[in-house]
Parts: sequence; structure tokens; C-alpha cells
Amino acid sequence: MAVAVRDDVQHEQQEAIRAAVRDVCKDYPDAYWRELDQRQEYPEAFVRALTEAGWLAALIPEQYGGAGLGITEASIILEEINRSGANSAACHAQMYIMGALLKHGNEEQKQRYLPKIAAGELRLQAFGVTEPNAGSETTRIQTTAVRQADRYVINGQKVWTSRFKQSDLMLLLARTTPYDDLTDKTRGLSVFLVDLREAGAAIESRPIDAMVNHSTNELFINDLVVPAENLIGEEGMGFRYIIDGWNAERILIAAESVGDGRWFVDRAVKYANERVVFGRPIGANQGVQFPIAQAYAHVEAADLVRYKAAARFDSGQKCGAEANMAKLLASEAAWEAANACMTVHGGYGLATEYDVERKFREARLYIVAPINNNLVLGYLGQHVLGMPKSY
Amino acid sequence: MNIIVTIKQVPDPDIPPIHFKVDEAAGKVVPPPGVAPVMNGYDANALEAALKLKEAHGGRVTAITLGGQEARDTLKRAVAMGADAAVLIDDPNLREGDSFTTATALARAIEKVGEYDLILCGRQASDTDAGQVPLGLGEILGLPTISPVIAIESTNGGVKAHRMIEDGQQVIEAQLPAVMAVSSEIGEPRYPPLRGIMMAGRTQIPVWTAADLGLDDGSAAPKVQLRRLYIESREQACELVDGDTPEEIAAALAQKLREAKLI
Repeated sequence: MAVAVRDDVQHEQQEAIRAAVRDVCKDYPDAYWRELDQRQEYPEAFVRALTEAGWLAALIPEQYGGAGLGITEASIILEEINRSGANSAACHAQMYIMGALLKHGNEEQKQRYLPKIAAGELRLQAFGVTEPNAGSETTRIQTTAVRQADRYVINGQKVWTSRFKQSDLMLLLARTTPYDDLTDKTRGLSVFLVDLREAGAAIESRPIDAMVNHSTNELFINDLVVPAENLIGEEGMGFRYIIDGWNAERILIAAESVGDGRWFVDRAVKYANERVVFGRPIGANQGVQFPIAQAYAHVEAADLVRYKAAARFDSGQKCGAEANMAKLLASEAAWEAANACMTVHGGYGLATEYDVERKFREARLYIVAPINNNLVLGYLGQHVLGMPKSY
Repeated sequence: MNIIVTIKQVPDPDIPPIHFKVDEAAGKVVPPPGVAPVMNGYDANALEAALKLKEAHGGRVTAITLGGQEARDTLKRAVAMGADAAVLIDDPNLREGDSFTTATALARAIEKVGEYDLILCGRQASDTDAGQVPLGLGEILGLPTISPVIAIESTNGGVKAHRMIEDGQQVIEAQLPAVMAVSSEIGEPRYPPLRGIMMAGRTQIPVWTAADLGLDDGSAAPKVQLRRLYIESREQACELVDGDTPEEIAAALAQKLREAKLI
């Protein structure tokens, strides 16, 4: 009975969160996103509204000024953003980057940064991990951090560093022990919290023109000085800390894909009911109706796995398999819904004013990012099903 | 300054007109399936005005509504936006009432809350658009009542209201306590912040019945009888005016407009 009461309260709170996020999103309609997309601009006003209302501080504990919510609630926030037709990619990283600081940062670091992040005075939403020569094989990164007395000097190159220009702080992974000197190749990497306001010319950024409006960059790091006190956790343990954040990231991305999937299904159904050809709505044709229904079923199924993964994450259980499956299933269900939606719209789907082509491009990203679905299958095959390593 | 804000839960006015349906036999609006009711827009403006006054002058904001259990969501939203407390009046004998019933129940609840300086209402509700409750409240409580108000300033021991009139504004000073019916010009309601939603989740909302308010004697019985509730049917037709030359078409069009008594 006590559990039932608690579940009711939690459910009520989650519904209130959904309704409140929808409220914010209502003020940023399709035309807002369409115009930003055309100008390749960052949704500054939207992210400011979310930040001011505290949505991006959902995971920060209440003692540091956040809401102290779980990944379930955080994922609901991002799902609703994407379901509204908006794009969480502009701000989701603040949520999943947070994990490294929350879990492995020391008290002094938390006191220094978390209240300001929660208040919206600081943005931590850049994540410097991927390099031109090390994508999914993170242990091969070449950017180095060399300790000199009470500081580290960092040199190297990063790529696909999104929201760099819209961040005050960046979490950066760098090598503190040469690869060849390591017996355990998962060691030797360290995580730093870089204050970009002080970085100056030591980091040169070059925007990457991409298929989606993603504010992403190449970074060239030359003699960047970072105080030793900005090292997160222990030196050499950075890869482990980054991995810890991956499950959260997978669950959040799955929720965004569920939001995308529902947006596509809603739009497809609406158009299928409204568009009349040969004297009847096109939705009366099985060739149009069934792919939408099929995609809907797959989105709903993926959603269940997403909630299972989130529940395990929030209760401290292992959730690697569930988190990866949620990301795989949700991104593919969203993509299926995207295709159904595009097909039902016919040529109009390609017209920017219908917004389908914009969401189509955005949904496609999650098949390959932040991890390629082939690598998710590789993980499931090897680590869950016990088959040989396939990559 | 302690402020009480009266709030009504209404069907979402943003739903497409096609989804708006009434049950003529029962004389009721049929709630659209799958669309949650929302806080009446003008009431949200009134709450925003109350919160701004509280931020400037301190005090306490209490939201009150008359409705079923589903109205708790609207009250929780008021708390999430920044109200300090909320009260739900829920009684089957009060739910089916008219503006008099609502004004009476709210007035009794306001007296039960006790300490208040200002009562803010929305100027009217988007479902009935009657706009009678604020005036009824003022009458029952014997308080100065101003409507529609587009700005409120606190003065020394009183309040100054900017009232919208057809060709400008009236500035009216009133003693406290007073009732004001607020219009949307007063300012956009804020988004409920996440911490507010957390707070609302923990807030206990007391439920008062007609008996709690001394209204179980039928003294709030409706004075208005609804005779018929229906959606006006509108017929549209399109007729193409034909002719061999533009002059002929224009003459035929003029003839038809004259026959329809439009010119």
C-alpha cells in the first residue's frame, strides 16, 4: 500500500513535469525552430527559458540548488521537449555531463560550481571526448595533460564538441599516462573541468557545418593551463568516470527519440486524416495507415524499455543492457516513425514549412550518435549474450 | 500584503473548435477526451499579479478554487507558480451551481481563510465568459470591487488600480481589503519552475465541503436556471458568379449582394 501511494505521488509529479515542460515549449512553436534551423542558430531564448525555470538543473541535488530528481524525470523533460517539435540536443548535455561532477567531483568542486549551474549563472554543456583519431575507441585519445606543479598543461585536438560556444564550463578527457606505458588500457585518462571563460586563445574552435543545427565544433587545444584542483576524481580514472555517464546518456537519448517518435506519429496521423485524395482521407489506405500504426507500436515498446532502464538506473542497479537497448530501440522506432511520416506527407514532407524534413534530419542523428547502433549491438552480443568481441 | 486569488479550472481553450462538444440533454460541456483542463487564462494573470505584489511587498498568496478533485491539478499549478497555500472547495451540492453559488462559496472560504488584504480574480472565465463572480464576491463580502484591472500599485495603507475603459484608463484608489478582477494586460503568467513543481508535490491541499462553509442549508443554491446549452450551427456555402465578361460578372455579383441585402 505504501508503495502504491508513493507511486501515485511520483506519477502525479511526473505528469506535472510533463505539463509544465509542454507549457514552456508552447511558446517556442514550429516556426521558431524552423527559422533557427535555416539560420543555423543556437536556440538561445529557449535554453534560457528552460534554465531559468530550473529544468536543466533537474539532476542537481537540492542541497546545491537543483531539484534532486532522477534520470526518469530528467528523461521525461527531454522527451517532452522533442515531442513538442523542439530539439533537446541544444541543452541535453548539461544533464548527462552533470553525472561526472555529481558522482566523482569533490565537495569543494560541487560547492563551487553546482549552485551556479542550478541558478543558470553557469552553463556546463560541452563535453570534449571524441577526437579525429579516436571516436568510439575512447581509450585511444591522444590529447595529453601534463602535470606541472599545481596545474596541468593540455594539448591536443577534439572534434564534434557541441555547444562549446554556448558553455562556460567544459568537461574534458585527456591522457595523463602514455598509452604504451599502460598495462590496463582503460587507465591513464583523466577528466578535467575546464573553465572556458579563462581559456582564452589556448582553445581555438572551428564550427562544423552539419546536417542538423547542432552548434558543433572542432577544437584545437594549445598549452591550455588547468589548475590541478579542476581534476575530477582520481588521475588516470577518467575513462571509468566517462563510462559511468554513458548509461544516463543512453536513457536520455532514448527518451528524446521516444519524443521524436510520438511527434512523427502525431503529425502522420493528422495528415493522414486530413489529406483527401481519390475522394477519401489517405489514412483510409492500409498502405498509409499500417506503417504509422507499426511505428507507433515500436515507439511504445521502446518506451517501456526506456522506463525499465531509467528505473534500474535510479534505484542504483546495473542497467547497461537496458540503457543500451532503450537507445537502440527508441532511435530506430523514431526513425521508422520519421519515414512513415515523410511517406504519408509525400512531396510536402520535403517542404520546410511542414517541419517534417527538419525533424527527419534530427531523428536520424540518434541512429549514429552519441554511439552508433552497431556498437550497441556489439555491446549486447559480447557483454550481454556472451559472444566473442565483434569489433 | 496577504492576497487571495480565486481560480477556475476550464476546458483548454486551445483545442480545435471541432473537439468542443456539449451534451444538450444534460446542459453540460463534454470534456474533450485526452485534453487536460487548464487554469483559466485571466486567473493565471491574477495569480501573476499577486505573486509580483508578494515579491515587492511580502505577504502570503493563497489560491482557492471550487471544483471536483480534478481541480487539484490547477491548484498544484498555482502552488508551483509560487502561491504559498491552496484550498479546494469540493461538494456535489456546489458543483452544479451558477455564478451566485460560486461567489457565495468563495466568499465563505475567503472568510474562513481569514487574514487577507486583497482578493484578485480573473475578469471572467473562458468557458462561460460571464464575469459575474468577482462582482458577486465584492457584494457578498461588502468590499470595494474594481474590474477590469490592468495594473495594481500598493499605496500607503491602500491600493491604486488602473482600470481599463473604452477610451483610456481610470486610476482608482481603494482602501484595503478590496476585490479586483484582473485582465490580461497586467502581465503574462510565469512558467511554473521545476522547484515549484517539487514544492507543489509536497503541498497538502485542504478540501472544504459545503458543511465546512456553513452552506449545507441551501443558501448557495443557484438563482439562474439554464434553459438550453447548444452550439450554434453555422452554415457556409460557396457560389461562383458566372458571366462572359468582367462587367457581366460584376453586375451579377452586385445583384446577388443586393438580393442578400448586403449592399
